[in-house]
Amino acid sequence: MDARLSRGGVSSAAAGEQARTRSQASLGASFVVRAAFIWPALLAILFVSIYPLLVSLYISLSRLKLVRGGFEFRFVGLDNFRDLLSGDERAHFLGVTRPPSPLGWLVLAAGLGLLGWGLYRAWRGGVPVAGLAARLLGAVAAAGVLWLLVRTLLADGGRPGTAVVTLVYVLVGVTVQFLLGLGLAYLLTQGLPGQRFFRVVFLLPMTITPVGVAYMFRMLADTGKGPLQPLWAAVGLSGFSWVNDPWGARVAVMVGDIWQWTPFMFIILLAALEAQDQDTVEAGMVDGASRWQILRHISLPAILPVCATVVLIRLIEAFKIIDLPNILTNGGPGTATESLSLHAYIRWRTLDLGQSAAVAYSLLFIVTVAALSFVNLVRRRVAEP
Amino acid sequence: MNPLRRRSVRDLPPAGKLAAYLVLGGWALVVLFPLYWLVITSFKLPIQVNSGPFYLPFVDFRPSLDAWRYIFVDLRDDTLRPYVNTVVVALGSSSLALVLGSAGAYALARFPYRPRLGMIALAAGCLALVAVAVGLGMPAAAAVVVAAGCFAILAATVGRRFRRTLSNGDIAFWMISQRILPPVAVVIPIYVLFQHLRLLDTRTALVITYAATNLPIVVWLMRDYFAKLPWELEEAAVVDGASAFRVFRSITLPLSLPGLVATFLIVLVFSWNEYLLALFLSSADAQTMPLTVAAQNATRGPQWWYMSVLIQIMILPVIALAIVLERFVSRGLLVGAVKG
Amino acid sequence: MAKRPIPRWAACVAAASLLVAACSGGGGDNKTQSTQGTGADRHKGVEVTVLTFTGPQIAEPLQRRAPDFNQLTGANVKIVTVPFADLYDKILTDLATGTNSYDAFVFDPQWMGDFVPPGYLEDITDRVKGDKTLQWDDIAPFFRDFSASYKGRTYTIPLDGDFQMVYYRSDLLKRDGLKPPATWEDYLDIARRYNGKDLNDDGKPDYGSCIAKKRAAQSYWMSWSVAGSYLQATGTSQGAFFDAGTMKPLVNNQAFATALDVYKQTTQYAPKDELNLDVGDTRGLFTSGRCALSADWGDIGTLAIDPKTSTVQDKVGTVIMPGSRKVLDRASGQLVDCDATRCPHAIDGVNHAPFAAFGGWSGAINAAVDQKVKDAAYDFLSYMSAPAQSNEDVTLGKTGFNPYRTSQFSDTQLWVKAGMSKEAAENYLGAIRDSLESPNMILDLRVPKSAQYQGVVLDTAVAQFLAGEISRDQAMRQIEQGWDKITDDEGRDEQKAAYADSLNIQR
Repeated sequence: MDARLSRGGVSSAAAGEQARTRSQASLGASFVVRAAFIWPALLAILFVSIYPLLVSLYISLSRLKLVRGGFEFRFVGLDNFRDLLSGDERAHFLGVTRPPSPLGWLVLAAGLGLLGWGLYRAWRGGVPVAGLAARLLGAVAAAGVLWLLVRTLLADGGRPGTAVVTLVYVLVGVTVQFLLGLGLAYLLTQGLPGQRFFRVVFLLPMTITPVGVAYMFRMLADTGKGPLQPLWAAVGLSGFSWVNDPWGARVAVMVGDIWQWTPFMFIILLAALEAQDQDTVEAGMVDGASRWQILRHISLPAILPVCATVVLIRLIEAFKIIDLPNILTNGGPGTATESLSLHAYIRWRTLDLGQSAAVAYSLLFIVTVAALSFVNLVRRRVAEP
Repeated sequence: MNPLRRRSVRDLPPAGKLAAYLVLGGWALVVLFPLYWLVITSFKLPIQVNSGPFYLPFVDFRPSLDAWRYIFVDLRDDTLRPYVNTVVVALGSSSLALVLGSAGAYALARFPYRPRLGMIALAAGCLALVAVAVGLGMPAAAAVVVAAGCFAILAATVGRRFRRTLSNGDIAFWMISQRILPPVAVVIPIYVLFQHLRLLDTRTALVITYAATNLPIVVWLMRDYFAKLPWELEEAAVVDGASAFRVFRSITLPLSLPGLVATFLIVLVFSWNEYLLALFLSSADAQTMPLTVAAQNATRGPQWWYMSVLIQIMILPVIALAIVLERFVSRGLLVGAVKG
Repeated sequence: MAKRPIPRWAACVAAASLLVAACSGGGGDNKTQSTQGTGADRHKGVEVTVLTFTGPQIAEPLQRRAPDFNQLTGANVKIVTVPFADLYDKILTDLATGTNSYDAFVFDPQWMGDFVPPGYLEDITDRVKGDKTLQWDDIAPFFRDFSASYKGRTYTIPLDGDFQMVYYRSDLLKRDGLKPPATWEDYLDIARRYNGKDLNDDGKPDYGSCIAKKRAAQSYWMSWSVAGSYLQATGTSQGAFFDAGTMKPLVNNQAFATALDVYKQTTQYAPKDELNLDVGDTRGLFTSGRCALSADWGDIGTLAIDPKTSTVQDKVGTVIMPGSRKVLDRASGQLVDCDATRCPHAIDGVNHAPFAAFGGWSGAINAAVDQKVKDAAYDFLSYMSAPAQSNEDVTLGKTGFNPYRTSQFSDTQLWVKAGMSKEAAENYLGAIRDSLESPNMILDLRVPKSAQYQGVVLDTAVAQFLAGEISRDQAMRQIEQGWDKITDDEGRDEQKAAYADSLNIQR
């Protein structure tokens, strides 16, 4: 799958990268030097990452049993995965699927249409067969995900499983965090008095340990002794128990997640905005462009690569959300707020290591596909030459 | 000085300013209110927490130093030790990650790597061979030697046939993909790994692990940064005969101080707040603060008052550091200052 | 800087201290002592690391008394704590991977089902028999014979008695001339009556019943407290989770269905987010006077008398877990009326089955450590449990230790000294005594993978049922299927044997 990215250096980004790096190399960086720069990092990552990755893979194909003197793993092949996808855990993992509602049909049709159009464009654009095959595969996968989402979320009686709930958390969370972070960062580059204060304040949520943030939100969200109770009463929601309503609980988790991680987007986008090339901005202002135009045509394109990076990093992290659903509602009501990571954790806590690793590997698979798609679709186009 | 300051020549219209302040103030309120609640909870007695929301100290309820006393006096050592551990581990691992990561990022931004896919597969295959051999009972040293030999021979002969290469982008993607697996899946293998190395319950184990898990983030953030650095200066130095190390140390790093600082802050926060790995790699001596925070949820339910105290003392150093370092960040991750 | 000659007196002091250090044996060298004798230095220099969860409950008395023990015996006992939710994993990972960083544990004896078969815990039957200070026979029969033992051998020393009871607002019931609930129908009646009324004079409506129903917290024990008296009637050895002969789960029958209905019905008279309340929240609600009833372990009794946490001092009554007039007929799966044969331990026709949920924190020793360390660890645990220390600790709320020795609830004076009124103390201790002396106490599930049976399958299904995600029958089927799957995975015969062993059934 990595080979797809390097196909003959097709993308402009890769070509530009090669052009630039070639000059450095041609000016004398020897093999030893190049190795010395990269290998320490590679080794560190290999040391701590590869071994657990492989062991987890093995565990996901087995079941744990405690025996005299230690423990043993009994190889069971794909049993754990089969449980998740078609067995007892299917409703928990994927959800309960039902025929879509009219809105669901609409969304499904629109989505499939979009995918089809993308494929058509690629074909007309002269993409080679191998590339087309890969895109077809990707489109099929995307269609499958869409079908699952529609049949659990936009269907009467459908109930989303942990995979779908996690997807919702990620999509909504990352989008809102990005937009909010960008907006706040932009406002704080407008030369307003007092902006240093805001900068420090906006950084605060990220500095709190996630477990601490989760407990804090639990305190806040408590309808009995939490401080927001009068607010709910004023708005007329005093009878509403968010904890008993699946979507209410999910929204609570997402609010906590957004509160905590917007600073991440904020600080990086702020730095990027601040470091823009001033000449172009000034030229724009001199030419009489409005603020909005400057933002849209100068600033945004300049920071697009950083945006892509920061969204990718946050995307990967967001899929692992666990502390908020765990501490706010322990995954409840029922299993409504349970994320994939929490699903794996609950299994792991009771020593069902095989199932836990299977869920973790499913997460790995989903996120890799998502990250690759994102890199292919977005980052490659916006990475700088 | 903030280069964008000149924009104030054309300040926002009053309506715009108002709107801006409303948004900023609104979000500041959203950020600060939970923290305010946290602070006053640390001054409440259990009965005051449980009987319903009290908002203003001295007006609604009588504040008490009970929780603070418990954490600082009753539990003095049990608070101090994790605190020191957290500081040491976070600073150590962030520094290590920053050094290794920026070197790696610089390499990926400046040097072309074209690892052959075939060679990587070969290396992986030989590693698998070692694993299988050890699993079947062969002594580890012998297995490694044999596999190394196989690799050398195969590389020299068949290796030449491999053409397909990966790019720097692929390497970078592989690095960030190491962050995809949730900690719960890797914690026991890492535990066993450090058990074999007899490094359990040491700060060293935590420093190594945190540095390795945060390296990808450093690489990704700094790579964009280095890529944006115009490289005429470096080119000049290289032409003048400076080694790559010299260039990196004397030219690139000073120019990229803002980016380094921002990245350091982020990685520091990640290390400071890491929970699951710390839980398993430590038992008595190397415990860190996130554990003590989580531990406040005991059989009687979360002890909000103690937890609030612990969270506050956890945040304070990070905030202080952030305030100090903030002005470096504002000079930008991506430099434009070189031109000006 | 020029060297200054060392003053003569300094040299003498240095030499003297070196001499003293050499003569005192340097701590780590002298390690000879008898296993259980007296003698102030019998464990000199032995380091014992004891693991439990972060307190103050349970950890506080250990941390407070360890220095005393160290002084008495020369040992060096260290208490290490980890977050409560992760204690099980920490212990198991440490033992299963052979790391053995801990020498002893204060943990939940329910976990013995996972720790004993692989041989992780030290068999202390003989030590306990020969231990005079421990006064083993003073410990209540249930904890002695069931909780601390597995397959007839003793592995743990009880430090705490954990079982669930029902708490009620004695002032309200007395005012309205009601008796404490004896059956679950009574419980529901009382809850209905007080729900929505202002029970603590703060102008806000309060609740009839507060039970911790939060998922992945304690809800699955609460649910079994309700179900227990419908399922077990002939004594502890009958078991309340499976049919001991066939290992068939007792969850898909009319009795369990009735219990689930009762459990769900209590939510109607409870705070609206009861589904997200764990014991911390419900206890807080009860002790601030906002609930008429609650079902919980012994903590509410001691929490209620602490002015820092309670506004209902002296308004709390305790009673044995409500029971049922109908029990399960295991052959037919139907609920049948109690009679002398079916419910030999019924009180006034009501079958009570107090549930020793979780088991009561106990101390156990790692079988893989050195003999000397084991000796020291045993002596420490024995010291903690001995009446001289234990009887004081169980009266203090902050210790988290609840009574488990007969001598502890025969003397109300200790409790009055701690702050209870004489009447409240008698009532509290009476309820404890009734529960402890019940021959029909339910032993918590103690087979391998018990955490999966209860914490995953049962808990998830009950949470989903309470949330309305699945129906009652679906929930029962889900539990039965899930449990059967785990049983088959582990080996049906092995699980059957383990279940019988945990109930000390002679085979």
